[in-house]
Amino acid sequence: MAVVYEFVWQVLHVLLHIHRTLITWFRTRLRNWNGQLWSRALTALLVPIALSFPNPKNLVPAPGKRVGRRYRCGTDGKSLEKLPDHIALLIAEEEPRYTDIANLVVWCMAVGISYVSVYDNYGVFRRNNSRLMDEILKQQQELLDLEGSKQLSVEFLNNGTVKQDQQVLSCQSVLKVLSPDDGKLRIVQAAQQLCRAVEQREKTSKDINVTVLDSLLRESKSTPDPDLVLKFGPVESTLGFLPWHIRLTEFISLPSHVDVSYEDLFSALQRYASCEQRLGK
Amino acid sequence: MMWMSTNIFYSRGVSLNMSWIREGELNLIEKLSANILKAGPMPKHVAFIMDGNRRYARKRQMERQEGHTQGFDKLAETLRWCLNLSIHEVTVYAFSIENFNRSKDEVDGLMELAKQKFIRLLEEQENLEKHGVCIRVLGDLTLLPLDLQQHIARAVVATRTHNKCFLNVCFAYTSRHEIANAVREMAWGVEQGLIKSSDVSEALLSQCLYSSNSPNPDLLIRTSGEVRLSDFLLWQTSHSCLVFQSVLWPEYSFWNLCDAILQYQLNHRPLQKARDQHREGQALQQHEADRACVADLLQHHGNGKPLDAQRRQEALLNYTASREERVQDFLGVLQHKRDSFLTDLTSQAALA
Repeated sequence: MAVVYEFVWQVLHVLLHIHRTLITWFRTRLRNWNGQLWSRALTALLVPIALSFPNPKNLVPAPGKRVGRRYRCGTDGKSLEKLPDHIALLIAEEEPRYTDIANLVVWCMAVGISYVSVYDNYGVFRRNNSRLMDEILKQQQELLDLEGSKQLSVEFLNNGTVKQDQQVLSCQSVLKVLSPDDGKLRIVQAAQQLCRAVEQREKTSKDINVTVLDSLLRESKSTPDPDLVLKFGPVESTLGFLPWHIRLTEFISLPSHVDVSYEDLFSALQRYASCEQRLGK
Repeated sequence: MMWMSTNIFYSRGVSLNMSWIREGELNLIEKLSANILKAGPMPKHVAFIMDGNRRYARKRQMERQEGHTQGFDKLAETLRWCLNLSIHEVTVYAFSIENFNRSKDEVDGLMELAKQKFIRLLEEQENLEKHGVCIRVLGDLTLLPLDLQQHIARAVVATRTHNKCFLNVCFAYTSRHEIANAVREMAWGVEQGLIKSSDVSEALLSQCLYSSNSPNPDLLIRTSGEVRLSDFLLWQTSHSCLVFQSVLWPEYSFWNLCDAILQYQLNHRPLQKARDQHREGQALQQHEADRACVADLLQHHGNGKPLDAQRRQEALLNYTASREERVQDFLGVLQHKRDSFLTDLTSQAALA
């Protein structure tokens, strides 16, 4: 009898995996198909107009997947009821794609989110910090080319050192690159620090409470806890992301960060805007 | 959050006559599904955030208190399902420290119901013993009214030795308070000279939490569609499978539970991998920390001559062994302190 149950279980899980794969396949096909459809439609419409006007440069759409995508990040941001102060991008997938992450970071900042964090549970982003920064600067440049007037200044906060960007300030965002060491290990280090203070009779154990620990774990007084975590990938877990800081964080899952679009990000932000926090009351 | 009822259900044959665990067996289809699920990996410890009682009450146009009552019925039923699915440890979020911010009436009502429920539990002691149910209450009990503290203490002490299934009730609890309390306990250990500040590690902190006698939850389920953790088991669930379900808690069904377990099974391998990787990293960090301490010690107590590799290795092994012994002794003292706190409450109650 146990063999029968096991067989049925295997069949069930095979079906679920097929189901998942089909959904992923459909999603990517649909997007590519849509993109091609759009570019063909627009080209068909605009080519006659382009030929009749002396300056066709602005009317012919750029090739590739940028066609049809809205780039009104600033106004989109203002249209939302509430915007997170601090958004975290949790990549729960095996192979991170730097271009896609950079896109997400740049869009978040353009929409008006002040603090953006990037996390993966292998610490890959931490180790390849400079590569990520280069990608972000590159994507930022592309975004500026398309949006025109908006200037972004990005402060890269990493291990406490702050590198100032050269561009003109009109809106400022802070990027943090996080790894599992910023989670439990940081809490343990703070605990060690407090215990050392007790050992040296600078503090007593009764002085230790939530506020004291919180001030040690806060990187700077102004950095808020993450309001929203966008999780990319099939794994349903926080994978060690900042346990102390996520007590009131909303979690929104997206299937993958590979070829993620601005619309995906914006619909997640819309979902966040509609949630209600009762704070225990 | 949830609460109480006085429903007792009898089934054919010998009854599990308890208000906290609803009587009943699974029907045929449910049994079949349970057996199929059990062919795969099953969570051993499930945590529930039982959200949605008040919204349920509004939806059904009933009193808020009735929503809490039905919420408790549902808990009793869910515990029964967990036992049927061989899940022997369940942790529930009953009352958060933040909930003290609710209206005085609601808070008083919840405290009164909690008291009645724990009194009821003690009346069912025989059944608890027969089914080996161990009740634990996690949180800062000193924030509660004294009579409730005493009832809780009696229930916990009475079921302390049972070991067939475990119900952990988080009451007057938030995860941050739990972590801060663990750090405070370690600092107390340092103050008492039981441990050194260099002994502080992730493993030791875990052992100082209220939940130290339980393994980490494999699966965390939150109902009512909210997608946040609300300061619940933040440390313990860092590598757990999180399942957010939109059903309101009083409407929770066996199939919702099966769905959550299916999610757990789908995530089992990647989470196991992440957990193992984290454990390896932890072991490495501990090893490095021990090495650093030994190097420090040798520098201070040595006579300047560098030791050969074998002597260094010996010193490292000795240091690790003595650290582990020190830590075990401290944990013994800590457990004794907690046990005494509860036993004192029960003797107070007996005298009163």
